[in-house]
Amino acid sequence: MADPLTARLKQLIVETLRLEDVAPADIPDAEPLVGGGLSLDSIDALELVVRLEKEFGIKIASSEEARRALANVAALAAYIRERGDPSRLPS
Amino acid sequence: MADPAAPVRVAACGCITPFGDAAATHAALLRGECALRPVPVLGREGGDAVPLALLPGRSLDETTPPDWVAAIASLRRSIPAGDWGSAGLPVFVTGSNFGVGGLYALRRTGNPSFADWSALPTCTERVRTELGWGPDVSIVSHACVSAHLGLLLATRVISEGLADGALVLSFDFLSPFVAGGFHALKILNADFPSPYRVRDSGAIGLGDGAGFAVLGRGSGDWILSGQSVFNEMHHFTANRSDGSGFARCLGTVASAARGRRVWFKGHGTGTLEAGQLEVGAAARAFPEAPIVGWKGSLGHTLGSCGLVELAIAVESVRAGRTPGTIGGAGRAMADTVALESFGNGSFDGVVCASNAFGGAHAAFLLCHA
Repeated sequence: MADPLTARLKQLIVETLRLEDVAPADIPDAEPLVGGGLSLDSIDALELVVRLEKEFGIKIASSEEARRALANVAALAAYIRERGDPSRLPS
Repeated sequence: MADPAAPVRVAACGCITPFGDAAATHAALLRGECALRPVPVLGREGGDAVPLALLPGRSLDETTPPDWVAAIASLRRSIPAGDWGSAGLPVFVTGSNFGVGGLYALRRTGNPSFADWSALPTCTERVRTELGWGPDVSIVSHACVSAHLGLLLATRVISEGLADGALVLSFDFLSPFVAGGFHALKILNADFPSPYRVRDSGAIGLGDGAGFAVLGRGSGDWILSGQSVFNEMHHFTANRSDGSGFARCLGTVASAARGRRVWFKGHGTGTLEAGQLEVGAAARAFPEAPIVGWKGSLGHTLGSCGLVELAIAVESVRAGRTPGTIGGAGRAMADTVALESFGNGSFDGVVCASNAFGGAHAAFLLCHA
């Protein structure tokens, strides 16, 4: 069964970036988000970070930290579990 | 009448920063002073404190009319008298934001008077009227190489015999809109910038700035040669990671500087990747040149930085001493980065470089006429 946070993140990525030809389930956990098969760039990353900060109450301090957090879906989920507001995590 | 074959010269230049004019700014940089202060990124609406260098007494929040108009008007005292804005003496107004903060203020407050200064043409028209220029005013806006482009176009207009001289004016004043945009990108954050230093994460500061240069054939102590502009057209915010854009731009200037001993005034905002690429390209093009960057003190003055830093470079040569790279501690990205000030009497040229979003690069060689 899919991890609820990972599933929610994939859904957010598709919604926020309006990926018309990609279903959430198509996004692999370990594939690089920026520069990978999704072809996301830094502007996409910006939109995603804004959405993630609002939804999970995280605060990403620098562009380098954003790059590390957005390495892939698995890294992003780990980052949010560590830094996010626990009450906002999907169960 | 000026010799039509004579090279275009810089007859006058100047700037305004939070430290004052070019001489005051140069002196403050030599003392290692930092103009950046932590300021809430959204002004009165708060937000994270980020390093901004605002002109004394100026608020980050928008006013109507803008409170930066007085700063631009004060530059007029330094600009040689002339029939500016006439066909023979056109004006090039450059900048990257042109009061765009007013648009955000219009949305925030609903006050329609904010719109009067917010769009590029209306803002320029207001400045033109304020400074008493004629109608021959061109607008040049290409992010943070705007001032360089203005200088290049003005030089060409004069070189082609289309004008006797030209005034290039550049300004950028901060607003919550502009600061908020850089903050959203996470490159403007709680840290103060440390240009050309090895760090775990990068940070920039932003600053208010305005500058001008008067170009002509008749007189002037300075020449800008090897003026170079190159746009990678790679991405909104990124340079090619191989540094080829920097190299391509600096190659033109290196040819113009052959045989000269130069120092290098870099862009150096404090971002890590761009800083490393710039230092590497500069070291390859000018292996003996000490590299300095001043945005660790002044912040990045955006579209105006090319003219603001030209005026400080001129002041450095006049005074015989170049301010070092201010900001932070730790190891420099290369041995060629000059962290301390140095005497420049044995140099006979300065390479001034800027770059911008979109992988745009610009540079020129400043030397005595």
